[in-house]
Amino acid sequence: MTSVRIYIAGIGLISPLGSGLSETRDSIRKGKTGIRPVSLFPVAQSRPLPVGEVRGLFETGGIPRTHQLALIAAREAMSHFGDAPDAVVMGVTTGGMLSTEGHLKRGDQAPGLFKYHSTGSVAEYIAGEFKCKGPAITISTACSSGATAIKVALEMLRAGQAGKVLVGGADSLCRLTYYGFNSLQLIDPEGARPLDINRRGMTVSEGAAMLLLVASPKAPDNAIAEILGVGLSCDAYHPASPHPEGAGALSAMQAAIKDADISFTDIDYINLHGTGTIDNDLSEARALNVLFGDRKPLLSSIKGASGHPLAAAGAIDSAICAMSISDKLVPGNTGCDIPDPELGLNPVKKPFEAGIQTVLSNSFGFGGNNASVVIGSPEGRGRAVSLEKPPWLAVMGSACITGAGNADKTVESISKGRTCKGMLSNREISLDLPVRTVRRLKRLPRMALSLATAAHENSGLSDMPSSIFFGTGWGGLSETYDFLSRLFESDERFASPTDFIGSVHNAPAGQIAIQFKSTGPNITTTGGDYSFEQSLFVASLLAKNIEDTMLVIGADESHEVLSGLFDRSVLTDRTLSNGGGALCLKRAEKSSGLRIFPSFFENSENNPPVISSLISKLGDQERINEEYGAILVGIPGAHREKGQKQLDEFLYLSGFRGPIIDYRTFTGEFASASAVAAVLALRFVQTGEIPEGLYGKKSFHLKGKGMLAVGLGNFVTAIEVINL
Amino acid sequence: MQKLLEELKVKIIETLNFEDITPDNIDEEDQLVGGELGIDSIDILELVMMIEKDYSVKIDNQELGAKVFANLKALAGYIYEKSPEI
Repeated sequence: MTSVRIYIAGIGLISPLGSGLSETRDSIRKGKTGIRPVSLFPVAQSRPLPVGEVRGLFETGGIPRTHQLALIAAREAMSHFGDAPDAVVMGVTTGGMLSTEGHLKRGDQAPGLFKYHSTGSVAEYIAGEFKCKGPAITISTACSSGATAIKVALEMLRAGQAGKVLVGGADSLCRLTYYGFNSLQLIDPEGARPLDINRRGMTVSEGAAMLLLVASPKAPDNAIAEILGVGLSCDAYHPASPHPEGAGALSAMQAAIKDADISFTDIDYINLHGTGTIDNDLSEARALNVLFGDRKPLLSSIKGASGHPLAAAGAIDSAICAMSISDKLVPGNTGCDIPDPELGLNPVKKPFEAGIQTVLSNSFGFGGNNASVVIGSPEGRGRAVSLEKPPWLAVMGSACITGAGNADKTVESISKGRTCKGMLSNREISLDLPVRTVRRLKRLPRMALSLATAAHENSGLSDMPSSIFFGTGWGGLSETYDFLSRLFESDERFASPTDFIGSVHNAPAGQIAIQFKSTGPNITTTGGDYSFEQSLFVASLLAKNIEDTMLVIGADESHEVLSGLFDRSVLTDRTLSNGGGALCLKRAEKSSGLRIFPSFFENSENNPPVISSLISKLGDQERINEEYGAILVGIPGAHREKGQKQLDEFLYLSGFRGPIIDYRTFTGEFASASAVAAVLALRFVQTGEIPEGLYGKKSFHLKGKGMLAVGLGNFVTAIEVINL
Repeated sequence: MQKLLEELKVKIIETLNFEDITPDNIDEEDQLVGGELGIDSIDILELVMMIEKDYSVKIDNQELGAKVFANLKALAGYIYEKSPEI
């Protein structure tokens, strides 16, 4: 078996500390700070709060700030490489929010203005700029997004699914995060002072960092550092506050050290999450004290200088850690005059030069989502792994929600020749959940929690799932809309902390973790119409190290104002529809049973052979006709013409003779319709037939064959479902 | 004062979306945070916003918050003392 190490071969970054590696290095060496009162947008307060703002960047050509930041970083990371990366993975939480806020504030609803609103549009934009034909995956795990994205890229490379991945994180400042964190009283009016005895909070900031990761048996000439391992965990404790004892932080660090196959004593420097909030710093410190005792390495947080750039943080920190190794530069903990004795930490106060070999970088976020990255010198012992294909996943249970109701009602409705379009009321969605549990939850988290509960019940398993993978195209639209509406109606005086926390895309996955006490990896993917496919793809990449049950969920809510503005497919159907699906999965080990695998994910832009590539991935004409009795096809309404052409080409090249079911015609238009399709495919394969009404007047017998769920449009995806 | 107490009970139920309790279920002497209602720090911040909006009373630091939100009686007392609208 081929064994590879994963090298950082290119780095690009932009933050309040400067544009590019050279400026950033200079700022860190001189201990400069990039924190000043906000000037990017006018604010209501008499004393604007300090933020970390990137200077000299202006909106051009309707490209939002986050996308611009990402592109600047990506160009630098790719500056020595001519070839396209095999995949792009990005951590993003705000996406085009700053531009969207401007449009909504002005009441400007012209079509096209919101083209770049989604978090997923950043990775797609970068993939387009660098002509990447592979997947463009978006991770939204709040402030750990950038580091979690590195985990996904790392596992993609270790699985041999890519040879080089452009990975990172980007977020621009916006009113949502500026007022949101302030509503939680988490902003230090003096600017962040991580670990200081007088610290009062964080400083919201912005930026981007991109790393080009390359899988190679030995260090390429341009290797800057090596990614040794990444560990993920979830607090499963509270939607916004860290676990008081740092339990999640501790297990993320332990998982990272294990993944890197090193001992904690090998770590020379820790780049702390260290936001400067009272609770974060205390929780992180407690975890460090348990793990390292009195043998703590050098440690510092850069957020007193850079502020906290949210989804970009993990990527920027990793870029800086790689630089600390290659340039022998240990960053100082700007803002900390007197270390808080309660923390028991002694941070590096001023930057200094020292040869460090192995560093640990922490990123923790809302939803209790934690990620720790271990980076080493390319000349070190390294971490070689054998390329290992991801396993198939055994399906233990499933559930869906559509306009018709749950999975049984959905099947009943379509078998009578009716659609399952439309929307259930919030009450119907959460009928089986305790009122206290859902009191603070709006539509999407209720849907996600209901789906998770129903899929787990359907599995009949007594053990709780340890890991949650959640895909959503648009996140909690009700919370986002309510937050911004109240903010703008009150002339920016009032911002709801509950809506802010709920507006974060990974909030529903955090809720599920709290309910199920799921402390394993907890990943939210937000790739538009392919969000569910992304979550299944990521779950399969991580499955080799997950012994317990995993939940993979896709869900979206439709919102009467925002859905039509953001999702052009919604406008192609008169009925507003929403819903989702959930699967309870285990790594497939037995030789029999129902199983699922995400076998194909490619960008269809700049990729003319995408359909023949899909067919060769599935086998050939003969295998496709032998293995699959029917195909569910998802064509988003906004890409109908393109999708139809792709389907025609697929049918021509594959010679497929079985039923083709165009599922959006009966599910309605919503980003996670593919999650419903996956659940239907599983139910049909399990019963061995497609019910009457869906394909002709009689039921169709699959004759023991499996089914394919194919996604078309801007990406082409395939999910295989078989019953062995 | 009694009127304010009754009014606050209704507003707390509304603001925090308690579907399963009525104003009679809230005892003004019971601790608010971590008590039977399961009110946590986010709820408190949501109430901070409501109180600023409806009574023009600001509660903008944690030390003050801990005192004011000890129980409903303390909260009503603080609003009664500070609000220009009462």
